[in-house]
Amino acid sequence: MSHNTNETHASDQRTNSELDLPLLSLSKTIESVLNTAVRLDEMEGQSFLSLEDKVIAVTLSPIKQPLYFLFTKSMIAVQSSLVGEADASIQTHLLDFVRLPLNHALPNTTLSGDTQLAQYFIDALCSLDIDWEEQLSHYTGDLIAFKVGHGIRSLFNTQQGVKDTVSQTLKEFLQFEIEAVPTQSQVKRFCQGVDDITTQTNVLEARINTLLTTS
Amino acid sequence: MSQTKPTIDFGFTEVPLQEKVKKVKGVFDSVAGNYDIMNDVMSLGVHRLWKRHTIELSGIRPGKVVLDLAGGTGDLTKEFAKRVGKEGKVVLADINESMVRVGRDRLINAGIAGNVEYTITNAEALAFPDNTFDLATIAFGLRNVTNKDKALEELYRVLKPGGQLMILEFSKVTQPLFAKFYDFYSFNILPKMGKLIANDEASYQYLAESIRMHPDQETLKQMMLTAGFDKAEYLNMNEGIVALHRGWKY
Repeated sequence: MSHNTNETHASDQRTNSELDLPLLSLSKTIESVLNTAVRLDEMEGQSFLSLEDKVIAVTLSPIKQPLYFLFTKSMIAVQSSLVGEADASIQTHLLDFVRLPLNHALPNTTLSGDTQLAQYFIDALCSLDIDWEEQLSHYTGDLIAFKVGHGIRSLFNTQQGVKDTVSQTLKEFLQFEIEAVPTQSQVKRFCQGVDDITTQTNVLEARINTLLTTS
Repeated sequence: MSQTKPTIDFGFTEVPLQEKVKKVKGVFDSVAGNYDIMNDVMSLGVHRLWKRHTIELSGIRPGKVVLDLAGGTGDLTKEFAKRVGKEGKVVLADINESMVRVGRDRLINAGIAGNVEYTITNAEALAFPDNTFDLATIAFGLRNVTNKDKALEELYRVLKPGGQLMILEFSKVTQPLFAKFYDFYSFNILPKMGKLIANDEASYQYLAESIRMHPDQETLKQMMLTAGFDKAEYLNMNEGIVALHRGWKY
């Protein structure tokens, strides 16, 4: 009988694995959170439809074992083994992946295999839009949900305001008070000066060469 | 000249070979309605973790065809059906009609339909052609089969080349001190819980006894190799309370 090496390779890699509770918990948690997010999404996860029947391997460093995302019409399944090869692979950092709903981007990401498919997945994750106030209002009523939403929005605005103020104050202190770092225009002028000197040096060099060859 | 009838274990008692199927059917007819609740109570919910680990290790992907033998109330079928998608298929097979009915109702209520088939079949004579399935599982069912060797041969037959069999079953506890506690729990607490929750002490006494009569890890692995599997191995979970045996057909 024939032995299909590709079909058995991935499973063979984990033949001696013990009950890996952290990995099981991670895959189960990501699966639950993702499917809940899709269910609550305003577009009900329409962006994931183009991924149906595909498999994407996601390596979330520092975890070495990739997680496989299986897309079917009924759900997104996450598991730590796969028979055969995934259609596409994404390598990113666990924290970046966790922050994706806030940042709407996956920085420092390596895509391989069907990269277009991998990009679809990232875009689909970024496009998830959950109206938390609407969901909360089912349990607490409209008034409390609005108050909570308003409070969270205010908190985010205040946090952003504090962040902007601190960064502006620090910038001014370093550039103008103690003059430890140059301003952007100073750097620009300096670079322009270097370019001018380089050009003048090149002209001078060319002139000297001309004089040497004619004498 | 008197001729003795061949017998086989039914828990700790010996019964005529032909009677085991009927007796096991009686047990599962009796517990079917409360099977899921009892599983949760008996294992403190850990059976979900064992099953989840089985699904993860299966490496299943969309488009594959899966046999969930002794699938009972459909725990594994439900998860596999979500993973194989519309191009794949899961067959929930069980010898016990009551269990299949409970499983089918449960899955339909959970919205699982279209890629699941249900069948009542004997593990020793599977009603499927050769080389049909990419993956076959039998979770907490093999110990109730009368002729385990025949069942393993049948499972090998219906697997495609490259296919995998996964047997999740109670096994032999490897840690001696823990084994004593586990014995006390199985024979003193478990049947009482069965009486309390399902009003059926005898069935749960049988479940405990059948676990002790089931072949240990190494024996079962050898049985798989004898049945024709080209590679077999096992993984103990929770000190061997449960073992996951895996066999490949190349």
